[in-house]
Amino acid sequence: MSQTTSEPTTEPEPQQGLALGAAPGDLLQRLRTAVARRTEGRAVALLTLVVITVAIVEPRALTSYPVTLGRIALIGLVALGLTAVILMGELDLGVASTLAVSGVVMASFESLTVGIIVALLGGLLIGVVNAFFVVIVGINSFIATLGMLFFLRGAAFVISGEQPVRVANADTALQFGRPLVGPLTPRILIFIVVFIALHVFVTRMRVGREFYAVGGNREAAYDAGIPVVRRVFTGFMISGFVSALAGVINAMERTAADPTAGGTVLLASFAAAIIGGVLLNGGRGSIVGALLGAATLGILQVSLTLSGVQVDVQNIIIGSVLLLAVISDPASVRRVMARASTFLSERSKPQPAG
Amino acid sequence: MMTDEPVAETPSPDQAAATTPAAEPGIEERAVTVTEWMADRGIFIFTALLILAAAVFIDGFASLTNITDVFNRAAPIGIVAVGMTFVVISANYLDLSVVAQVATSAVVLIAVSNEYGFVLAILAAIVIALVYGFVNGVAVGVFKANAVIVTLSTTFIGLGLLRWVSGGSIYFGPPDGPVRVFGSTRLGPIPLSMIVLVAMTLLLSFVLNRTTFGFLVKAYGSNREATRLTGANTAMVVIGAFVITALAAMVGGFVLAAFSNTAVSSMSTGFDFRALAAIIVGGTSVFGGRGSVMRTLLGVVFVSVLTNIMVLSGLGFGMQQMAIGLLIVAAVSVDALARKAGTS
Repeated sequence: MSQTTSEPTTEPEPQQGLALGAAPGDLLQRLRTAVARRTEGRAVALLTLVVITVAIVEPRALTSYPVTLGRIALIGLVALGLTAVILMGELDLGVASTLAVSGVVMASFESLTVGIIVALLGGLLIGVVNAFFVVIVGINSFIATLGMLFFLRGAAFVISGEQPVRVANADTALQFGRPLVGPLTPRILIFIVVFIALHVFVTRMRVGREFYAVGGNREAAYDAGIPVVRRVFTGFMISGFVSALAGVINAMERTAADPTAGGTVLLASFAAAIIGGVLLNGGRGSIVGALLGAATLGILQVSLTLSGVQVDVQNIIIGSVLLLAVISDPASVRRVMARASTFLSERSKPQPAG
Repeated sequence: MMTDEPVAETPSPDQAAATTPAAEPGIEERAVTVTEWMADRGIFIFTALLILAAAVFIDGFASLTNITDVFNRAAPIGIVAVGMTFVVISANYLDLSVVAQVATSAVVLIAVSNEYGFVLAILAAIVIALVYGFVNGVAVGVFKANAVIVTLSTTFIGLGLLRWVSGGSIYFGPPDGPVRVFGSTRLGPIPLSMIVLVAMTLLLSFVLNRTTFGFLVKAYGSNREATRLTGANTAMVVIGAFVITALAAMVGGFVLAAFSNTAVSSMSTGFDFRALAAIIVGGTSVFGGRGSVMRTLLGVVFVSVLTNIMVLSGLGFGMQQMAIGLLIVAAVSVDALARKAGTS
C-alpha cells in the first residue's frame, strides 16, 4: 500500500533520536519514524501471519481467490463505512441491521432500480437519524446506534414478514453475481471504488481530513472553526449509505433478501477496523488499515469454512481475535505495562514507615 | 472515553437552539423542570398508566394466569437487569454478553445436574460466571478497552462455545428434580422466581447504596479521573461491576431454566436489550454515575408489561424489537436533554 508521507495521523511525532548524525543511522531513523507513524502495523503483522498459515494449512483459500475476494469485499465494505464514523470517535452498531433492512427493502420493490434507489436513500436516512441523536440530542453513539440496531433488525423482520424475500427481477440480479472483469464481480469492483473514494476523501480532501480533528479533540476542532455537527452527520451518512450498499449487493447476489442477513458482519467489520489500527476513541487510523483488517478476516473466514470448521467455532475464533485486537491497542498495552512495573517496584521497595 | 467529553458539552449554536428554543429565562427554566421531571419521575406515571391502560383495553391482561406469566417472564430479565445496572452506572454502557451468560448458566444447570448432580452444576455455573466477569472486567477495567466491543466479542466467543459444546440441543431436566420443584413452586400468583428477583434487588440495592464498593461504582461512573486520584483501585471497581453482572446473569439463567425445566443455547435471545431498556427506562443514566437498582426493578415492570401487551395484541418479534429499540432511544433522549438542560 502507499506509504505516503502526507500523514493523516494527528498524533504529534516525538522528535526522537535526532542526535544521530551519521547518514545511514539517520536514514534508518527516518524509516523507523515513518513506520512508527503508521497505524497499520498490527494489521500488516496479522495479515502476514494469516497468509503464511493459510498458505501452509489451507492453500485453497488463496487459490480460489474470487471467493476470498468476495468475502473481503463484504466485510470490508461495511468496515470502510464504519471507519469513517470511528475516526470521529463515534460508533455505528447499526451497520449489520442496516445491511439486512436495506436488502429487504430493495427486494420488496417490483422494479430493481427503484428498489436500489430507495434502499440507498434509506441508508442515508438511517445515517441522518443516527447523527441527529448523537450530535443534536447528545446521546452517546454506542447507545443511540444500539437502539437503531434493535429497531432496524425488527423493521427487517416486519417488512419481510419474517421470511427471506425473493428479488423480483431474479435474472438481472443473478447477472450481478457474475464476474465482470477477469475474476472481479461487481461486488469487488464496487468495493474497490468505495475504498479509493474513501481513502482519497480522508487523506486528500479537507472535509475528510477534518474527521481526524473531530475525533482527536472535538473541543479543539470546534474552536478551530470546523463544523463538527456537519462532519458527524457526514460520517454517519457515509456509514449508513455504505452499509445499505452492502445490503443491496448481498441481496442481489443471493437473489433473495434475508432479514437475518449480516449476523456475523457486525463482529467481522468491527474486528477489521480495530485490527486495522483504527482507534475507537477517534482521531487515529486509516482506510488502508480497515482494508488490511478486512483482508485478514476475509482470508481467515474463507479458510476456516473451506477447512470445514463450524460457524460456531469460527465465531469463537473471530470473537477472540476482536477481543485481543481491542485490548492490544498500543496505548492500553503501554498503560498496563506501566501499571505492572509501578506495582512491582512498589512491592520490591521497603515499606516506608507511616 | 466519550463520557468524559460528551457532545453535550461542545455547544454549537444550532444545538442550543434545538434544546432551548426561547432565550427568555423564565420559559427556559420551566422547560428545564419539565424535562428533568420527566427523566426523574416520569417512569412512575408511565408504568401506572401503562398497567391501567392494559387492564382496561387489553383482553386477558388482568387475568391471574396472565399476571403469573408476566411475573415468570419478568423474573429472569429483571435479575439480569438489576445486576447489569452496576455496569451502566460505572459508565461502561452495558454488558452485551449477558445473552451468552444466561444461556450458558441455564444449559449448565440442566445438563450438568443431569449428569453429575445439582451441586456440581451450581459450582460449574459459578466458575463460568466468574470467568465471564473477570474477562470482561479486566479487558474494560485494566486494558481500558471499550465495553461494547469487549462484550460483543465475549458474546460471540461464549455463544460459539456453548453451541459448539451443546450442539444446539435442548436439555430437559428430570420431572421431579430440584430445578423443577423450584420452577413450579409459587405463593398465590407469585412464582418463587419473582421472590428471587425481589431478594436480588434488595441485596444489590444494599451493595450499591450502603457499601464502599457501591459508592466507588457511582463515583467512577461520574468522574473516572477524580476517582482514580483518590487512590481507589479503579480496575477492581470495574471488575467488580462486571462480576456482579455475571453472577446476576447466572441466577437469571437458573430461573429461566427452572421456569420450563429445559435449557437451550438460544433461549436468552433479546435479554441484552430488554435488560438495557429496563435499566434506562427506570432512570439509571447511561452517562454513568447516577442510578438505582430499585428503579431498574420499576423499569423491568414497565418493559415486561409492555412486552406482554404486545404479545397479547399479536405483534410479532420484529414489532417488539422495533418498539424496544425506540423505547431505548426515547428514554436516553429524555435523559440527555435533561442533562443538557441541567448543565448548561
